[in-house]
Amino acid sequence: MQILYFAGIRELTKEKERQCPVPVATVHELLLTLSARYGTAFRQKVFNGDGQLSDVVIVLVNGRDIRHLNGLETPLAAEDTVCIFPVVAGG
Amino acid sequence: MYGWTGTILRVNLTTGQITREPTSPRLAKQFIGARGLATKMMYDEVDPKVDPLSPANKLIFAPGPFTGTYAPSGGRYDVVTKGPLTGTIAASNSGGFFGAELKYAGYDLLIVEGKAEKPVYLWINDDQVEIRDASHLWGQTVPDTTDLVRAETDEDAKVACIGPAGERLVLFANVMNEMHRAAGRSGVGAVMGSKNLKAIAILGSGTVTVADPAAFKAAVLKARKKIQDHPVGGTGLRVYGTDVLVNILNQIGGLPTRNFHTGYFPTADKVGGESQAARHLIRPRGCFSCIISCGRATRVTNPKYAGEGEGPEYESAWAFGPDCGIDDLDAITKANYVCNELGLDTITMGTTIACAMDMFEDGILTPQETDGLAVTFGNAEVLVELVRKTAYREGFGMQLAEGSYRLAMHYEHPEYSMSVKKQEMPAYDPRSVQGVGLNYATGNRGGCHVRGYTVSVEVLGNPFKMDNLATEGKADLTITFQNLTAALDSTGACLFTTFGLGADELAEMLTALTGVTYTTDDFMKTGDRIWNLERLWNLRAGLTAADDTLPERLLKEPLPSGAAKGHVSGQPEMLPEYYAHRGWTPEGVPTPEKLQALGLA
Repeated sequence: MQILYFAGIRELTKEKERQCPVPVATVHELLLTLSARYGTAFRQKVFNGDGQLSDVVIVLVNGRDIRHLNGLETPLAAEDTVCIFPVVAGG
Repeated sequence: MYGWTGTILRVNLTTGQITREPTSPRLAKQFIGARGLATKMMYDEVDPKVDPLSPANKLIFAPGPFTGTYAPSGGRYDVVTKGPLTGTIAASNSGGFFGAELKYAGYDLLIVEGKAEKPVYLWINDDQVEIRDASHLWGQTVPDTTDLVRAETDEDAKVACIGPAGERLVLFANVMNEMHRAAGRSGVGAVMGSKNLKAIAILGSGTVTVADPAAFKAAVLKARKKIQDHPVGGTGLRVYGTDVLVNILNQIGGLPTRNFHTGYFPTADKVGGESQAARHLIRPRGCFSCIISCGRATRVTNPKYAGEGEGPEYESAWAFGPDCGIDDLDAITKANYVCNELGLDTITMGTTIACAMDMFEDGILTPQETDGLAVTFGNAEVLVELVRKTAYREGFGMQLAEGSYRLAMHYEHPEYSMSVKKQEMPAYDPRSVQGVGLNYATGNRGGCHVRGYTVSVEVLGNPFKMDNLATEGKADLTITFQNLTAALDSTGACLFTTFGLGADELAEMLTALTGVTYTTDDFMKTGDRIWNLERLWNLRAGLTAADDTLPERLLKEPLPSGAAKGHVSGQPEMLPEYYAHRGWTPEGVPTPEKLQALGLA
């Protein structure tokens, strides 16, 4: 499973991408695993105070926003690509 | 009047007559200013069938009530005219400091009429207005013109001008102010060139008066905090600029690549905002009264493409990059610099080159037509040269100077032009972002994202999230964004204030500033009124519902790769609902009842 980081998320991970080190079944499990790796600042970025997905990140699984899938419970498979963005905009 | 200066300056270049007239409080209330008020003046004074490059067309420089105040990011103005690229009403919006200076000189609008016998420039120093000879400036680049005009007038003067492209009536020439800010789209610079007007210099010593200073201050402080607390308005745009969008659009399969053949560009990260920040960024830059600072002061040190300037913004980086199959950010940035120096719209320039590359790859164009150049996707070497040739109308540049639609039509292959109403679409593929396709198709100036930026909801989730691949609900979303933006543009606020603000805050500030009560509903209805007025202009110019469509490629060819693989645009199925919800007939004509309700009957 490939995980890609963009914009301000890269400042927290200090890397652009990574292969998931352990098997995870859902986006929630993945973000918990990554929070353990990257620390508090990353965790506080991706989760809000209630442990739900923060509203300042966008998570895509194979290019689909998880808000249109099953949110944090979106299932993951080994061949999936997960992208984590901060909320960005422009035009 | 408060917020408005109460005076319109009119300059006739044919007769040399310079006159002033009062701003109508009634029209100011109904159309606010900038895009709205200037469109109303055009509607009342100019035949929509006018040849856009004839003396009978008018050219209006139009700040809004917020322009020149400390309303957050309130430094915008519009250049309003009939656009030569599209034949539609054109309102090209720019930032910088020029608009604010026009207000300080005492004017709500500057209306330029007629055509000078020889090149001239305007020098507006409060109520002293001169038409000066510009023969020595003709042929100069934008930076050189700006420096020369300042040297002849005042070192603090704010200067808007055209480059060699505007002089040569390139159909997508722009007007540049303070060297780096562009009223970019639809060819407003060609209209300026057609009038032999090289530049306008302004120095103002006045102010903008406020109806209720305490209420305005409170409303502005509240609005500033909302923007500063927003993750995009507060920090995101300042750090990475607009080009940060490259990667997310690419990942959802909506980054148009190689003239919209697909929506995924494998090496997109090399041209995104993260790469720009790491390699080229000197510092962020803001316009007048800006608290966002999305502008990019950049430098390229690679000797092959060395230069210094501003940008590219997302749309420009995309147009010269993925849309041309190019991932060399040095070359892309250089092409952007050359556009700014010679006065060209980057979106139409890049997409017209992409169209040419597409036609060359398919054998419709050969080296015989392209001055021996291999105009192939991915060829960064030819990119900068084609931009230069276009601005000077040299060789193959003569054909590129007409934009992609006329280029493709010339070879009887209009299907290669990725345009709506003859204006090229920007950097969001409608097969991946469904609502923006409806916005492009119905856009009052053709292919354009900033008239109804549904991307904000469909991709970014601001202020709420809708599925980018769905068509349900997108007609209403598009209408809401188009109306909101029409009103917002007319205030002089920057579109990016919507990363924090909505109609509530804008109406509150406008009320306190002008003393004219605008409820949120009033504000949105004013946007609806402006949109419908633009529609009426276009219908009278000869456009019809048949022009509210997208290129066949987007309607019939499914995306072959990326996250939206297999999708086509659902624009045709959304259009009837859009017309109905706008209060228009099935032929796209506003009904008498609708016009009555808006005060346009």
